[in-house]
Amino acid sequence: MKLPDRIGWRDHVVGAALALAYLAWLLATVRSVGIPRDEGMYFRAASDYVGWWRLLLEHGGEALRQSTIDSSFGYNHEHPALMKTLFGVSWWLLHEKWHVFTDASTAYRFPAMCTAAAAVWTTYLFGARAWTRRAGLVAAALFALMPRVFFHAHLACFDVPITAMWLLCVYAHWRAQETRGYGWAIATGIVFGLALETKHNAWMLPFVLVPHALLVNRHALWRGLRGGQVTLPTSVVSMAILGPAVFYALWPYLWNDTLARLQWYVSFHLNHDYYNIEFLGKNYFGPPSPPGYLPVMVLATVPTVTLLLFSIGAIERARDGCRRLSGWLLAILRKRADEWPARDPRETDLLLFLAIAVAVGPFFLPKTPIFGGTKHWMPAYPFLALFAGRGFDLTWAALGRALPSLAPRRAVALQAALGASVLLPPLAVTAHAHPFGLSSYVPLVGGTAGGADLGLNRQFWGYTTQNAAAEYLNDRAPPGATVFIHDTTWDAWSHMQEEKRIRGDLRAAGAPHESQIALVQHELHMNEVDYSIWTAFGTDAPAYIVEHDGVPIVSIYRRP
Amino acid sequence: MYPPRVALANEDLRFQTPRAWKSWAFVAVPVVGMIELGAHVAQTCSVAPERDWRAAREYVAQEAKPGDLVAFAPRWADPIGRERFGARLATVEREGRPDETRFPRAFEVAIRGAHLPELAGWRNGAARRFGAVTVTTRENPAPASVLDDLVSMVTPDRLRVSRVDGDRETECSFQRSAPSSGGLGFGPAIPGDRFTCAAGGFVATSVAADLDYRARRCIYAPPPGESASLRLRFSGVRFGHALHGHHALYVEAERDRRGAPVSITFKAGHSTLGSLVHADGDGWKGFELDTGELAGQVADLVVDIASASGDRRMYCFEADTR
Repeated sequence: MKLPDRIGWRDHVVGAALALAYLAWLLATVRSVGIPRDEGMYFRAASDYVGWWRLLLEHGGEALRQSTIDSSFGYNHEHPALMKTLFGVSWWLLHEKWHVFTDASTAYRFPAMCTAAAAVWTTYLFGARAWTRRAGLVAAALFALMPRVFFHAHLACFDVPITAMWLLCVYAHWRAQETRGYGWAIATGIVFGLALETKHNAWMLPFVLVPHALLVNRHALWRGLRGGQVTLPTSVVSMAILGPAVFYALWPYLWNDTLARLQWYVSFHLNHDYYNIEFLGKNYFGPPSPPGYLPVMVLATVPTVTLLLFSIGAIERARDGCRRLSGWLLAILRKRADEWPARDPRETDLLLFLAIAVAVGPFFLPKTPIFGGTKHWMPAYPFLALFAGRGFDLTWAALGRALPSLAPRRAVALQAALGASVLLPPLAVTAHAHPFGLSSYVPLVGGTAGGADLGLNRQFWGYTTQNAAAEYLNDRAPPGATVFIHDTTWDAWSHMQEEKRIRGDLRAAGAPHESQIALVQHELHMNEVDYSIWTAFGTDAPAYIVEHDGVPIVSIYRRP
Repeated sequence: MYPPRVALANEDLRFQTPRAWKSWAFVAVPVVGMIELGAHVAQTCSVAPERDWRAAREYVAQEAKPGDLVAFAPRWADPIGRERFGARLATVEREGRPDETRFPRAFEVAIRGAHLPELAGWRNGAARRFGAVTVTTRENPAPASVLDDLVSMVTPDRLRVSRVDGDRETECSFQRSAPSSGGLGFGPAIPGDRFTCAAGGFVATSVAADLDYRARRCIYAPPPGESASLRLRFSGVRFGHALHGHHALYVEAERDRRGAPVSITFKAGHSTLGSLVHADGDGWKGFELDTGELAGQVADLVVDIASASGDRRMYCFEADTR
């Protein structure tokens, strides 16, 4: 079957199929991911928030009192409400009411998984429209097959949702430049508002879209200025008006004491605590952050073949951009407007480069905390994948040129082999990383053990207690045993017990000396907890170790 | 309007490739992909199996003497080493060693070809391979002969502890109670066996995380601060030519470099052997005091620990005579 050149509904079918396949994979693997610290908080907030919406629907005005709003939205107000509200709605409808999901946690997580699927879908469409369908397919697949993306895509957190929103907003803006209609411009504003309402990374989006819009619309702007008018691009106007409006409208916590609460929100994130994180064998807990953190972590966590394809695609586009720029400059110098090089009126390359640069830029600043590992710059990854898709197109074309007279069957076989050679490694690495997505590293640095050799962070959030339960506690802990749960929160522990991931009779303890069994989720700065257990238990020998590729993830001590 | 999508997409699909080799450069992509896949398979299949660890343990258990060091490389494999070898071989004394100077011989149990940098200057002995686990015997070129280790003397029959407030000295009683511990930020666990001062303060043997997050078995003796100090009297200490030791604060107490310095003074008889200051950021700081005049004698050793502030001065030290 040959698809028409024009990208249309059939491509949405392809994108949706990719998205559904990813969503199905996430759902099939979600129960094996333990509940991290932050999720425990977001689950609680989600239930509070949806409770308020139910109150609003059932009792109307009563819900609008400040005391009622604050009691519901006061918890975890350092992050906007959109995703937590969706987590809550999903929990209420898909778990409590309709029993679609047996596990409450799966219902909470479902909206974030849907955003991951939406990101895959959008990446395909973006790639198909910008380059070719083949590029879109490969880009979508390579984005989905980044081990860290796959891990975070399971969680009821904001990192994958903001990645999806960032991508969607850039895409809508890009479409607005192409169509020049109001529809995509309005969509840009609304999605920008949703992005603001998802996570604070979105406040950087104007640094991507405004310069791009100004460049794309420079002639109109210039003409307007000469006529004494300021003509702003519609998508930028839409962002300026609709973005804050959507942000405000969907976060009831801001409806009272708005300015003070906004100030607190901004201040919280500008002065965020520095949590501990290991990098190259050193524990960082404050500024300055190491400038090599982002490049090393990208190299160590994104499949190498993906990065190679990205390099091919990005260099080719950058080279083309430089060629056009120099041609344009020469034409200006010669005063020959007819010699201006052809250009993409949507300035796609520039937009993609900006989307990456703005997403990763802050992580080269010494004051930016690095405790989130790679998740805080994930909004750059769909664009990295898009360039990788372009790189695949170039490789594909080069294959065709190198073997022009190959029989069609052999050509198809070689093309299939080429596709497999770039998709199988990320697939294998991603599948193998699960559920230790934060511990695993790509083969380039030696895998999980290589990451440990380099002194890269082993994990965070204490979510691997579930693995300790699956491999040891559930079978071997004495009845009613007390367990020091280390970095796992009480909320997360009780959720895992409610869902029978951890035996219900086990009792969590807050200190090693109060417990019969003690866990250590290995991170460099957590070594002190390990040593405390030695003293409290009178032994330094764990009874069992949860490992990934021979690397300790959780030590389990048992009181002699 | 705009150029059609396919035209835009295809117009530059070819690099300008004047040379023949460039037309085959694309092969790098599948080659890198296949290398990545192969490396992934190799890396995930090369984990040292438990039987290799067990075999290495049998060997070390037969060969190692109590004074030998047993250590695991790379350092991240240490928990696995402790689990596989057990607490009798991977003792707290070995794991929380102050340094390697006292050990005449080391059994370095390693995977992935790793070595411990602290043993780099030691003479290589036999290396035995047990599958993926290698045990290398190393000889210390100049082992120290330890006469008395203060950390092992934190018992009521060898140590008296008092709190000194100005001119008043109050005895701190030895107690056997439940240990006290916590999560991140709590500091070293306080063992059940400890000297407890009625006005506040304690002394006990614990394991502290030093500035490099390494385990250090040491005498946990946080100074009370202000005008008060802790006094430790070790009885019947056999002296040699040096008093060799280290001191530090628990990592989170000193890593911000905001706390008051801690001083420690060693006295024997009427003479002061030496006084040392630990400032935040010094980490696990070594010292060696000359005790040549006392060599061969047995005497009481008095240790005074003081600081201008008691705020998170989670101080720990170790020393031995040699």
